[in-house]
Amino acid sequence: MIAVQHLSMRLTAAGRPVTILDDVSLEIPSKQTVAVMGPSGSGKSTLLGLMAGLDRPTAGSIRLDGVEITSLSESQMARFRRVKIGYIFQSFHLIPTLTALENVLVPLELAGNIAAKDEANEILQTVGLGHRVHHYPVQLSGGEQQRVAVARAFACRPPILLADEPTGNLDSLTGRHIMDLVLALHRDYGTTLVLVTHDRGIATLMHRVIALRDGRIESDQILPTTADDLREPAL
Amino acid sequence: MSQFIFHMAWRETRGAWRHFLYFFICIAIGVSALVGVSLFAAHVEDAVSKQAKALLGGDLEIRSSHPLSAESRAVLQALDQYGIIRTHVSELIAMAARTTQGAMAAHATQIVELKAVEPGYPLYGTLNIEPSDSLDHLLHPDRARCGTAPCHGAVVQEALLLRMGVAVGDRIKIGTIEFLITGLVRTEPDRMANAFSLGPRVIVSEAGLTESALVQPGSRVRERELLQLPSSMPFEPLRGELRGRLAADHVRVTGYRDAQPQLKQFLEQLSRYLGLIGLTALFIGGLGVAMSIHAFMREKLKTIAILKTLGADSKLLIGVYVLQAIGLGVIGSAAGMLLGIVWQRVLPPLLASGFVSELLLQVGASAALSGVSIGPLLKGGALGLLTTLLFSLWPLMRVRDIAPAAIFRREVDPDSGDPLSESSWRARVGLQDWVGVTTVAVLVCGLVILSMWQAGSWRVGGWYVGGVALAILVLLGCSRILLLGLRLIPRPGSISLRYAMGNVLRPGGHTAGILVAIGMSVVVIVTVSLVEQALLRQVGESRPVDAPTFFFIDLQPDQTEGFAALIAERTGGRTPEMTPLVRSRLHALNGEEVKVDEERDQDERRDETKEERRKQWYLSREYVLTFLDELPKGNEIVSGAWWQPGQRLVTPQVSIEEEAARSLGLEIGSHIELDIQGATIRAEVSSIRKVDWGNFSTNFYMIVSPGALDGAPVTYVATIHVDPEQEVSLQQAVVAAFPNVSAIHVGDVLRNFASVLDRLALAIRAVALFCVITGGLVMAAALAATRYRRLYESIILKAVGATRGLIARTFAVEYALLGFMGGIMAVGLSSALSWLVLTHVFDLTWSLHPIVLFTGLTCTVLLTLLVGVLSTFRILGQRPLAVLRHE
Repeated sequence: MIAVQHLSMRLTAAGRPVTILDDVSLEIPSKQTVAVMGPSGSGKSTLLGLMAGLDRPTAGSIRLDGVEITSLSESQMARFRRVKIGYIFQSFHLIPTLTALENVLVPLELAGNIAAKDEANEILQTVGLGHRVHHYPVQLSGGEQQRVAVARAFACRPPILLADEPTGNLDSLTGRHIMDLVLALHRDYGTTLVLVTHDRGIATLMHRVIALRDGRIESDQILPTTADDLREPAL
Repeated sequence: MSQFIFHMAWRETRGAWRHFLYFFICIAIGVSALVGVSLFAAHVEDAVSKQAKALLGGDLEIRSSHPLSAESRAVLQALDQYGIIRTHVSELIAMAARTTQGAMAAHATQIVELKAVEPGYPLYGTLNIEPSDSLDHLLHPDRARCGTAPCHGAVVQEALLLRMGVAVGDRIKIGTIEFLITGLVRTEPDRMANAFSLGPRVIVSEAGLTESALVQPGSRVRERELLQLPSSMPFEPLRGELRGRLAADHVRVTGYRDAQPQLKQFLEQLSRYLGLIGLTALFIGGLGVAMSIHAFMREKLKTIAILKTLGADSKLLIGVYVLQAIGLGVIGSAAGMLLGIVWQRVLPPLLASGFVSELLLQVGASAALSGVSIGPLLKGGALGLLTTLLFSLWPLMRVRDIAPAAIFRREVDPDSGDPLSESSWRARVGLQDWVGVTTVAVLVCGLVILSMWQAGSWRVGGWYVGGVALAILVLLGCSRILLLGLRLIPRPGSISLRYAMGNVLRPGGHTAGILVAIGMSVVVIVTVSLVEQALLRQVGESRPVDAPTFFFIDLQPDQTEGFAALIAERTGGRTPEMTPLVRSRLHALNGEEVKVDEERDQDERRDETKEERRKQWYLSREYVLTFLDELPKGNEIVSGAWWQPGQRLVTPQVSIEEEAARSLGLEIGSHIELDIQGATIRAEVSSIRKVDWGNFSTNFYMIVSPGALDGAPVTYVATIHVDPEQEVSLQQAVVAAFPNVSAIHVGDVLRNFASVLDRLALAIRAVALFCVITGGLVMAAALAATRYRRLYESIILKAVGATRGLIARTFAVEYALLGFMGGIMAVGLSSALSWLVLTHVFDLTWSLHPIVLFTGLTCTVLLTLLVGVLSTFRILGQRPLAVLRHE
């Protein structure tokens, strides 16, 4: 359960105050999949980042599974993220000096998982990269890199997965594969999924679509009809 | 979690070894300098303490400046019944004269350090002589070698043969008799490795000395009685008893454990200051560490932000990178330790061919590792590791400033700036919050403690840290000012000059850091050279033209007339300045008997203040007195009044030198009692003098009024200035006519001093060279940090048509500019430092040394050019498209 109330974010850009989010409130029940849409600069990535505790809002509150994250210290937030949140970036953000396996190992080791290596191997297998575990990011294609990022985000089986345009840097076929993967994992692990996207096609795969404009919620739709499509993803 | 730290630290190091190459070398070189110096010092010190008995000559030594009284001799004779073995040694300065016509260039007369020994010498250690016959045999040659008349043998240092053009088997005249040279002495166990000696050693028998008639009343002789105790007998009780029973003779009784304090002190000081220069090299290397880590952090911004989004907090990440730094520090320090072992084997024989290797030979010090090597090795390793830790902690603390937001904000807005570019200076130096303040405090305290540990003294360590901190601040300030000045200069028309200036002035280019590193490393070496030059000039050139050529010592009263006549005859009527001398000791101050406290051991003495030590020195020393009618040249009365010439005084009066009066607590009207070989005279302090000790004439702490010393055993010292061409013949004539008189040639003494100074300065410069090396490494590290940017820019320049030559020129001008700015700051600061040292430590006047400064500046520019070109020449060959494709 994600509860966002009166969330505002103001930054200073080139010396002038800019409002990125303006009094946003929403609730996302557990296991729901949500697409956040909107034009560039509408504040969707910022909303996602704030939900992950990657930055502090100017005002408002964010409760994840009953925990008010805006008041956590940096260390508390980091520890909270370790077990509760998986995050997928548009440009993958793998650590270039680590192999695919080691990238996936990071969250598992952070969580103190004893069987980290086995689990990392297993999940890389699941995303279809069992044969490339010892490759470095530069040796992988974009799609493969994003698969590693997905594996990394799911490694600790977080209850919440936040994905910031996960297919934005990929061609449409590869993007489709990544979405299938994400949705399959969502189904298997019962993860709450919040996904920022420009792609209407991807948005229609979700339970719910929230549209932002100028930092405010413009619309918030439940798409009951599409829900059943999720049951049959083509991996 | 801890598993994560270890794994991450390893993974982050694995692929990044290039980044840490300079880090590693900086630490290794710094540690090797420290370890090399302290290993060498430890090995020599160990050998010295193992050879303590041999260095002293016995378990106990009784030393005096005059023959012992009959009572004292009886005390010593009584020791024989306890199984104590005794031997007597006399040491004095004498003149040796050739008896045959030698080679043209050789001296016919030569000042020598004469040592007369009894059978049984040496009690401990070995006398290294050639041929390997018994010393006794060599000193008492048989008829087969001497011929009909009985004769005495002499074992001499090879230098004597070379200087006088004589050989083993020839005869030399010392005093009134001839000695047959029967062998060579290589090393003596109890001759302190003399960096500074008046002449070569000649060993004769006591019987030979007596017959030579060299020792006259008042002659300057060091009488040593050496005792070997049965192994079951501890030396302390006997030392105490002898001090009591021989007190009337003013002897100095020394046990082997407190032997050679001067040698120990010299070694201690040498290793302390060389060690501190080594530490400076390590600290400059620390700058390289900080720079490498800083550059590494800059590259790791994204990784750190990603790791934070994955749930790693700052503490954990700092743990990862600190562990990495520790690992690299350990390896670097270990390499430094190995390199240090190599240095201490290679450097000392290479550098200090003179006195240090002689000392090594004498005490049998070896470079082989042993138990005593562990301390210096561990200390060097620990200093390396701690320096690494301290210098990497600072840049690593900035991990906290990297927010995970940085990465997603960049996703949102690619132009959202560099998360590490803070505006406030407090943030830049890490003082923005209490964690930062604590880190900086830990860093500063750590450096202070490290320095004090290395210096082995709070005071010296404190001065060192203060000096280094001040130097860094001054250099930093100067580099800011220079850069500001450079910014104000209108950009020149030449493209390469314009780009070079742009590179130097670019923000984030580490320019200030490079300048400080260059400055620091050059300052040490230039300052040493400046001080050395000033000292050499002082002893060499600043001698007044009429300064005496010779000091003739040990003239007897009945020889003065004949001597003056001889001088007049030889020099065309010049008169020597003759000063009467009487040896004495302080007996009482203001009616209170002086107690020289010799019982205190070394440790107690260490705790004393400088004032107390100075007072003890003034209380226990021997005073050479003179009586004069007139206030001598170079003396100035600061209080009281000089006596009227010819005035007969009821109470004898004494004029005291300013410093001595202050340390002894004497004022006008105070009374002192002086002991002159058992007789006591009482005198009233009537004036206090300031003495110019550097005036090249005979100077005195105490001068008494004429008549006060009537009846005391007097000798005379004569000084005379002669023309260079008269020197040799005059010396020969004096030695022939007055064999007991020794001629000390001022020029020779000063040359000797200059060569010692030169060798010392060479040793210091050798260690200072490590500072230059680490300084160069810091610059290379800083340039490596900007390598990619340079590569990119040179590619762009090439793409728009710049030739490789133009780019090379641009880089060369930039490095030369850096070297010039760093060099200017360094020579400026060196001049200031040398001024401070010369005026405050050596009491000399400072003057500008343009040649040293110019050489320092030129070498700095050339070295920075070399380092810069070596660090970046590979960039020049890169083809534009290959690089741009990767963009």
